[in-house]
Order: sequence, then structure tokens, then C-alpha cells
Amino acid sequence: MRILLAEDDAMLGDGLRAGLRQAGFQVDWVRDGMAAERELASGVYAAGVLDLGLPLKDGLDVLKDLRARKIITPILVLTARDAIPDRVVGLDTGADDYVIKPVDLIELAARLRSLVRRSLGHSQETLRHGAVELDSASRSVWCRGERVPLSTREFDLLHALMRHMGRVLSREQLEQQMYSWGHEVESNTIEVHIHHLRKKLGSEVIQTVRGVGYVVQREVPEA
Amino acid sequence: MKPAQPLSLQTRLLLLALGFATAIWVAAGAFALRDAQYEIDELLDGHLAQAAALLMVHAQGDYDDVFDTPVLQKFAPQVAFQVYVEGILSTRSANVGVEPMVTQPDGFYTVLRDDGELWRVVITREREPEVTVLVGEKVESRQAILWALVRSLLGPLLVALPLFGLALWWSVRKGLEPLRALRGTLAQRTPQAAEPVSLKGMPRELAPLVQTLNGLLERINRMVQSERRFTADAAHELRTPIAAIRMQAQVALGAGDDVEERVHALQTTLAGCDRASRLVDQLLTLARLEANPATQVAAPVDLCAVTRRVAGELAHVALARGQELVVQAEVPCAVAANEVLLGVLVRNLTDNALRYSPDGARVALTVQAEPGVVVLEVQDSGPGMSDESIAHLGERFFRVLGNEQPGSGLGWSIVRRLLDVYGAQAQIGRSAELGGLSVTVRWPVAPSGI
Repeated sequence: MRILLAEDDAMLGDGLRAGLRQAGFQVDWVRDGMAAERELASGVYAAGVLDLGLPLKDGLDVLKDLRARKIITPILVLTARDAIPDRVVGLDTGADDYVIKPVDLIELAARLRSLVRRSLGHSQETLRHGAVELDSASRSVWCRGERVPLSTREFDLLHALMRHMGRVLSREQLEQQMYSWGHEVESNTIEVHIHHLRKKLGSEVIQTVRGVGYVVQREVPEA
Repeated sequence: MKPAQPLSLQTRLLLLALGFATAIWVAAGAFALRDAQYEIDELLDGHLAQAAALLMVHAQGDYDDVFDTPVLQKFAPQVAFQVYVEGILSTRSANVGVEPMVTQPDGFYTVLRDDGELWRVVITREREPEVTVLVGEKVESRQAILWALVRSLLGPLLVALPLFGLALWWSVRKGLEPLRALRGTLAQRTPQAAEPVSLKGMPRELAPLVQTLNGLLERINRMVQSERRFTADAAHELRTPIAAIRMQAQVALGAGDDVEERVHALQTTLAGCDRASRLVDQLLTLARLEANPATQVAAPVDLCAVTRRVAGELAHVALARGQELVVQAEVPCAVAANEVLLGVLVRNLTDNALRYSPDGARVALTVQAEPGVVVLEVQDSGPGMSDESIAHLGERFFRVLGNEQPGSGLGWSIVRRLLDVYGAQAQIGRSAELGGLSVTVRWPVAPSGI
């Protein structure tokens, strides 16, 4: 999952980026409000972590303007402003979660996963398609009850497709969701990962929509 | 010994008013009595003279026999008379002897007689035939009249005084009602309530007091607000380094086999601790300065010595980043300040210059005396600051955008505060010599040299 981190403090930003990467997120880090708004508006991020005291444009203003533009990317506000009125204003302005510094890394990661899950309408951490089960918290995949070892990229790709079950994602969209800045992506990388996933999980899970992209079909509930 | 409790306003007013009323009443009474005594004496002396005249007329007539004294009923003991014809007693009242009551020339006399009583006596003489008439009256009877008068004056006073006191007590109580109301209002206030006391319906005497009180409340309120803001700001500002430390520590724990990541995270954790402790130091310095600037004793201190010492302390910081720290401070220059705080000030300025200048930069500290002022100049070859940023300097926690250096923006707040305390002026601009930021601080010269 690709996350945008907007934090102006060098030390904290560095730690958050490293920590969230350890938790399996792809993290892009911006240092000011203008950049945060620009990047979050691009729509490639599964969620945003937003500090409020940002230079150039305050986090709350970023939030307000994004919501005014109908951009619904889930945003977790991470701030040192702990007064109740501040929290209320933050949540009312459109924050999906409001976390006070200092925050535990594991909790932050869980909150982010929860935000993304809810934004996609899932109620559980485990995504399921046929015999395939994916747990984003432990980053593990089972097929017919057996654990399937996947590389980081393979997991991220499957996670992206299963998160957006029923939606066809283009190669570009998948790349955007899987890779943070500074990663050169080869033109056939996605095809290679799809190939490996099909070998491990069976060819029927991921379907190719020719000329458009890939999809994990939504299952029709059995009567 | 327990100091005497000051009298309440009410008691004070009551005592004063009652005391004066009694004194005036008594004085008026005394005057009235003196007047009355004079009038009584005048009148009764007249009567004595008249009685003497009657006796005289009688004695000069052809009555040469001694007649029995008329019955004077209950007044008999109070009055007495003697009539001498040709030196021989011709008539007298029963309560008087043969000897004349007085022997002085004609006139009125007050004498102590054999019966041990004071008598008022008139003596009058006539020739052809030679007759002497004496008429006396007990002084006591006159005084009885006076006493009756005193009683009639003082009697009502004794009854009226308590009544008057009661009325006065009630009036004073009623009059002091606004004071009690004010007391009640103030007593009910919570320490958080800082709004001014309403002046509505406040009597003219109390209004200035309440206004002064409101002024004080406002000042206290401002102070409390500033304290609260400070606490909030400080908490806010401490959270970020603590959050960074925590995050980096967790990253180090989660780094697994990635040695490079773990080392980086641990180093950053340490840097975060340094930053937090520096912040705490600064917050404490600032809090102390804001709490009580007046206690900072100012004595002449040699700014040159302080500057050289600070430069020595910070030399390792400059060395670590390949920066050059140049000090020009030879001639002792005395400024009135606390040596420790002066060190804090110079240190903050120097630290800022080193911190916000790139590696290998040059920082120059110059101290020199100009007529009437001592000038400290801190220049660097760093990027300098925009005018907008300069305007924001000294606001707590203001930091220049895009700054990689960890800082709280408190250093300048401390500098500002110290400058205020010592009446020094700071000027910030571009360094003509080094191209970076230049901070010039001017102190008035200390009154006495070192």
C-alpha cells in the first residue's frame, strides 16, 4: 500500500518513513502543506498521514481544501495538538483518524490499514477470494488453507488487486500503488509478478482484461 | 506579641461618630451650665439685694424694737439675715448668731460659716441712722438648681446616646453595603475567573479601588494566559522530539538483519535525545526569565571574557563541521548583566550562527566599545534570512522553513527576553563581511568600569 507522509520535522519524518516501510507500506514523504495537498490530490495513495503544523500550508487547511475538492483519500492526522477542541476540529474538517504524537509504530500501521480497509468497504483485515485468503496485517497469503510464500512485490500486487476486488486496474495504476518515489519500474515488471502469482495461486484468481489491465473478480455470493 | 487587629471600618466610624457626638453634647452642656450659673447668680443676688433693701427700709423706720422673725416655712434654713442699728443687733433670723456674717465693705460675698456651709451674703450700710443689713442664702440651694439643670441636660443624653448609636450603627452598616457586596463577589470568584468586576452601581469611593483591582486582574490574567500558552507550546514542542525518539527506537527494533537501518535509527534516537534535552534546557531558561526577570542582578561583566569563554565552549561544535569560529574581543568592555545569563545570550547567538550555517562556514564574533555603547556582532557566511523570517524571529517556536537543523525556535525567544531585561538593542541584517546573517547587539556601557 502506498502512503503519503506529510511531516516537516526531519527526525520524526525519517523515523516514520522507515517504520512504515518496515510495516510493509510504500511511503512517500513530503515536508510542507502545499506538496502534501498536491500529492494527496493525485489519487495514487491508499491513505495519507498528515501533520498539522506544516509549513507553507497548515495541515487543517490542506484537509479542508482536499475535502472541498471531493478527494476522499483516507487521511490520518498525526499531531502534537492534543486538546479536545483541536481533535474535534480535525475530525470535523475531514480527518478519518486523529492520532496524538508520540505514537506507537505498530498502532499507527494498524490504524492506517484499518482506514484503508474501511475506505474500500471491507470490514475485516482478511480479504478472501475463492480459496485464496490474504491478511494484510501479517502480510501473509493462504491458498486452500496452506501458507503461500510471496515476495514483497507479489504480496503488494495481490493486495492491491484484492483490495479493489471487482475493479480493473491498469498496469500504471498498479505501479503507482506499489512503488514509492525513487523506484524505477521495468515495463514488464507487473507482468512478471502476475505470472509468478498465477503459478503459486492458480491461474483463475487474477484475470487479464485485454488492453485495460488486471482484475480479481468479486465473488457472487452463493445462495 | 500578637499585633493588634485593625479596627473594622464599621467600628471605626461608629466610635468616631459617637465620640464626637458625646464630646460636642458635653461641651454644649458645659457652656449652657456656665451660662445658667451666671444667670442664676445674677437673679438670686438681685433677690438678696432686694431683701436687704426691704430690711433696710424697715430698720430705718420708727421700729426700734426687735421683732420676731417671720416664719419662713421650709425656706427658713436656707436664708438668714441680720440687722444692726448703731452697731447693735436689732433683728436677726433664727439660724444666725450675734456676730455679723461678714464684716467686709458693702457688696456680695461667698463665705464659709460656722455651720460648715457656704453662704452667699450681701452686706449694705446706711448712715443717719447708722444701719447695717446682712442677708444670706445657702449656696447649696443655688447649686440644687444647677444640678437640676444638669440632670435635665444629661438625662436625655443618656437615653439618646444608645439610640443614636443604634441608628448610627444601622446607617453605617447600610452605607457599607456595597463594600460587603464587593467582598462577596470577590469571595465567590474562582481563580480561573479573570473577567473584570462590574463597575455598575459602584459608589464613587469604591469605583477607583475596583478599577485598580480590575487592572491587577487584567495583568494577572495576561500573565496566566502567557503561562498557559507557554505550557501548551512547550508540551507541543516536546512531543515532536519524543515522537521521533520513539519512532526511531521502534525502527531500530524492527530493522532485523538490516544493520545499516538499525545503526541509522539508533544514531537518530541519540540525536533526538540530545535535541529533547536541549529543548528542556531552553524551556527552563525561558520560564525562569519570564517568571522573574527582576531578580537577575546586573553587575558590570566583561563581555569580551564571556564571549571568549562561550567561543571556547562551542569550538568543538564548529570543528566537527569544519566551521571556522573567529573571535575578536581584546579590550575589556563592561556591560551591566548577570554573567551566567550573558553567557546564555552569547551562546544562543553563536550557537544559532553555527547551527544554521553550512559545513565549512565562517562565524565571526566581534566585541568592541563605541562611545556610550558596547557592541557585540555575530556574523556568519551562511544563507542569511529573508526579511519576513527576520520579522518572525523571537516568536516562540518560530523556525525558518526548510531548515534541516533540529531546533525549537526557542533560542531567539531567550535572546529577545534577555535583551529586554538588560535594555540592549539587537539589529539583524545581512553581513557585509561574510555575506550571511549579521546580528548586532548594543548594550549601554556599565556605569562603572571593571
